[in-house]
Amino acid sequence: MRTLEYVRVGEPAQAVAELAADPAAAFLAGGTTQLDLMKIGTVTARRLVDITRLPLRDVTFDGGDLRVGALVTMERLAREPVVAQRLPVLRDALLAGASVQLRNAATIGGNLLQRTRCPYFRDVATACNKRDPGAGCAALEGVHRNHAILGTSPHCIATHPSDLAVALVALDAVVRLLGPDGPRTVPLTGFYLPPDDTPRLETVLRHGDLVTGVDIPLPAQGTRSGYLKVRDRASYDFALASAAVVADPGRTRVALGGVATVPWRARRAEAVLREAPEAFVAAAGAELADAEPRRDNGYKVELARRTLIRALSTWAAP
Amino acid sequence: MTRTLAPLVGAALDRVDGARKVAGAAPYPNDVRYPDLAYAALVRATISAGRVSGIETEGAEGAPGVLTVITHLTAPRLSRGPATSIGPQPTPPLQGDRVDYDGQYLAVVVAGTREQAVAAADLVEVRYEVDEPVLRTEDPRAEREENPWHFDTTRGDPAGALRTAEVRVDSTYTTPHLTNNPLGPFTTVARWDGDDLTVHDSTQHTANTRSALAGVFGIPEERVRVLAPFVGGGFGAGLRSWPHVTVAAMAARVVGRPVALELTRPEMFTGTGGRPSTVQRIRLGSTVDGRLVAIDHHAEYPAAMDDAVRYRVTPRGAGAYACPNFAARDVQVRLNVPPTGHMRAPGTAEGLFALECALDELAFRLDIDPVDLRLRNVAEVDPENGRPWTTTGLRECYRVGAERFGWYGRSPAPCSMRDGHRMVGYGMAGVTFGWTMMPCRAAATLHPDGTATIATSATDIGTGTYTILTQLAADLLDLPPDWVRVELGDTRLPKAPAAGGSGLTAAVTNAVQDACRNLLEIVRNGHPRGTDVRAEGASAPPEREDVAPSGAFAAVFAEVRVDPDLGELRVVRLVTAVDGGRIMNPKLAASQIIGGTVGGLGMALMERTTPDPGSGRIMNANLGDYLVPVHADVPDVDVLFVGGPDPLTPMGVKGVGEVGVVGVAPAVANAVHHATGRRLRALPLTVENLL
Ligand SMILES: Cc1cc2nc3c(=O)[nH]c(=O)nc-3n(C[C@H](O)[C@H](O)[C@H](O)COP(=O)(O)OP(=O)(O)OC[C@H]3O[C@@H](n4cnc5c(N)ncnc54)[C@H](O)[C@@H]3O)c2cc1C
Repeated sequence: MRTLEYVRVGEPAQAVAELAADPAAAFLAGGTTQLDLMKIGTVTARRLVDITRLPLRDVTFDGGDLRVGALVTMERLAREPVVAQRLPVLRDALLAGASVQLRNAATIGGNLLQRTRCPYFRDVATACNKRDPGAGCAALEGVHRNHAILGTSPHCIATHPSDLAVALVALDAVVRLLGPDGPRTVPLTGFYLPPDDTPRLETVLRHGDLVTGVDIPLPAQGTRSGYLKVRDRASYDFALASAAVVADPGRTRVALGGVATVPWRARRAEAVLREAPEAFVAAAGAELADAEPRRDNGYKVELARRTLIRALSTWAAP
Repeated sequence: MTRTLAPLVGAALDRVDGARKVAGAAPYPNDVRYPDLAYAALVRATISAGRVSGIETEGAEGAPGVLTVITHLTAPRLSRGPATSIGPQPTPPLQGDRVDYDGQYLAVVVAGTREQAVAAADLVEVRYEVDEPVLRTEDPRAEREENPWHFDTTRGDPAGALRTAEVRVDSTYTTPHLTNNPLGPFTTVARWDGDDLTVHDSTQHTANTRSALAGVFGIPEERVRVLAPFVGGGFGAGLRSWPHVTVAAMAARVVGRPVALELTRPEMFTGTGGRPSTVQRIRLGSTVDGRLVAIDHHAEYPAAMDDAVRYRVTPRGAGAYACPNFAARDVQVRLNVPPTGHMRAPGTAEGLFALECALDELAFRLDIDPVDLRLRNVAEVDPENGRPWTTTGLRECYRVGAERFGWYGRSPAPCSMRDGHRMVGYGMAGVTFGWTMMPCRAAATLHPDGTATIATSATDIGTGTYTILTQLAADLLDLPPDWVRVELGDTRLPKAPAAGGSGLTAAVTNAVQDACRNLLEIVRNGHPRGTDVRAEGASAPPEREDVAPSGAFAAVFAEVRVDPDLGELRVVRLVTAVDGGRIMNPKLAASQIIGGTVGGLGMALMERTTPDPGSGRIMNANLGDYLVPVHADVPDVDVLFVGGPDPLTPMGVKGVGEVGVVGVAPAVANAVHHATGRRLRALPLTVENLL
């Protein structure tokens, strides 16, 4: 039988030390991704370091930034009054994710680090470069209706599944980390790595790096924002395509979900909108111009385009 | 003395087993424990075709707690059990090195705990010689069996009538492979005492599991006892005795201890059947005023390589429309897919999807209201044999359903109704469901304390059999309902047919009525005080040459909203009117129709079992990726019952088990056409088709 050690830590530094000492150790937060993937054999960890007792459960507001502890649950953050008032895009993205039962267990840190739902990643009997570098990617010719059309590589087309992360990249959130060498911060837009020829590497995190929180700069008063998610069923389903729009006065920030290998900041669309704030169709077209669909996910190009246009028309129209 | 069926029969009694179930006190097969119980875990094939060239079991055998590892090299030789009314038994497991589908059992590990068994199963290493699997019905290598079960029918001259018809529809419809997914993972707990085998099993048909196991192990049926007092749902998955049932019994025999084998969710996808995918070509011919002159329906669908399932997609009697010329042809194509089975109105749901959508196409072509088109073509007699139906509530279903729904308030042209930016569509479908009844026995016992027990081997898979038999016996014996105990799901009890084919209620209520009558007869004639009085009763399908037994009829009406930009489809309203003969309990019957409607919604909107196109391996074999409707997908479902007792049997019951499922997908697809002008001929109706 696979034996597993379980330790509970009380201090962030202790958590980092536990991991740094053991290459086969992993953090355990709400467990809704980690335990799931361990049960099906996709990830193996010999030692689970339970971080849920760490004092990282606060949501504070220091005037400029909303500071969210890594262990705040999705449901709790969605219910924060300041989120409802000032960050509708964040609230919508949280509440459009998973189910209320999962959201009560799932943490913000864990959400950002959840793994792709690509069925080949999750099925150890099949080929996956992300799970087993060099093994090949069975999704390329396989079941890929829900795979990415942006940020893909010949080695991996797995979609990044998080809704929260899409809202947060649009909001220019910053991730706070504690690593073996001390604390540091990384903007979320630079946090995720597209697959290229190393699909196994998904973020800039190094083994032992603990996400301690996320800082979200509050948009100016009066900013409209929202998150639109299209899916196969009305609730409890990952996005086929989604769009986050933050329409600050004078500038519109946009991100796409469900269609890319990483939470996708739509820079090209933003560039078009900087020149012509209401050129929604052109903005969406520009963002998807280089999309690379495959046999069964070609619809996503059109779906993402329309989702983005709808989201812009809803929140960025004057 | 004559007892009347009142006040309880027909009353909305709450489920008598409800409190036990919510308290966790109802023993399901996976609750069964024996002191020396061992646990089994399966090793499954990861290729779809080929042979096992080597299987390494040493690591598993040496793992903690492992009692044995059984493979095709070490398994006892088994026979195939006797065929039943739904066809031959599945191929017995672990009998050779051939691999015919991904998911086929290659070994079973038995250990002291479930965790030990699962961990050791991981250590079994299998080597294969891989063949190119046959995965598509159009593959020229695929073996095709025309008219496999001799259901094909031709009446009149459909080809000629099609040629000369004033108006024609010729369309091809497809439906995907679906998986039943009852909530309760199927479990078998098997125990041998010498040559006596006791099996606790998730089955819808205890008698079938018994005869299957007796046949497999070559022992008399009387030595096999099958228990299934509670089953966590089935949707047809429990109609066959699947290989894992045999594996559990085999393992128990080998280790000399009782063995529990609980399937995992992924194993449920390959080990308990499912609805095969279909491709159906349907041709209709009609006069300009909407009288059908020809129906030609052809269906093709897979069957597993080394398996045979009695199946029929093209509806009997051309779906009971009055049409002089019709042809129905089924073709089964052998593929390297997991054994198919029966799922929520098997065959009929797929077949009526094609037929009822094609009729909608015809109505649109003719500019005739879809309800009116169907009313013009109602078969007043059974088209298959010309006999009058025992009851015909179909017109009433259309009338009552349309009225409740407000059908005639629609503007008939497609794309003509809106709700804000969303397109609104109304669609409908009619259903004539087949009649089934099998012989059934039951016993009634009156105890000295005045209470009574009703007993039959039938199962209650969540549908309410315990409750309706309580109601029935209470009325017949003139007792309060809590003085009646119902015992089910045990082959030691009088033999009952499957909870399937919408046929159990008719069979079992008539048998129980007979048993109660016989009991009262004995009581009337005097009997010794202080002892139990027991009587048996039976029912059998009446053999009538003069009438055609009618199953349930229904009309389904759906309202949808489609976002024209994003392609999102939501069903916002559903009305189903059903003629189910006598309704034993309107609350439970409505629940059954609502449940069926949700299953139909899943079929319409999202359900699909997705194989890897190259390997055939199912890539969404879990409830995270295989989507079923959640609450937010299910609108108000309005269920209306029309008609009354059917004169065919004393109880007048027709059965409402499956009728709720079948009309939903076509009604929704037709509503989508009305909303958008798009005719979607492939299920499920997902976003990419509506952009
Ligand atoms: C059925 C289902 C449906 C879902 N639907 C959606 C959806 O629609 N939208 C959506 O966005 N999400 C969805 N999710 C994903 C869900 O939101 C994530 O599983 C959850 O947020 C993960 O958080 P957790 O606390 O449970 O993390 P865990 O499972 O405990 O951890 C996840 C990963 O993050 C690492 N980790 C956790 N915390 C930290 C930290 N502080 N620092 C460093 N590493 C850390 C763990 O080691 C692990 O690798 C769904 C999940 C399920 C199971």
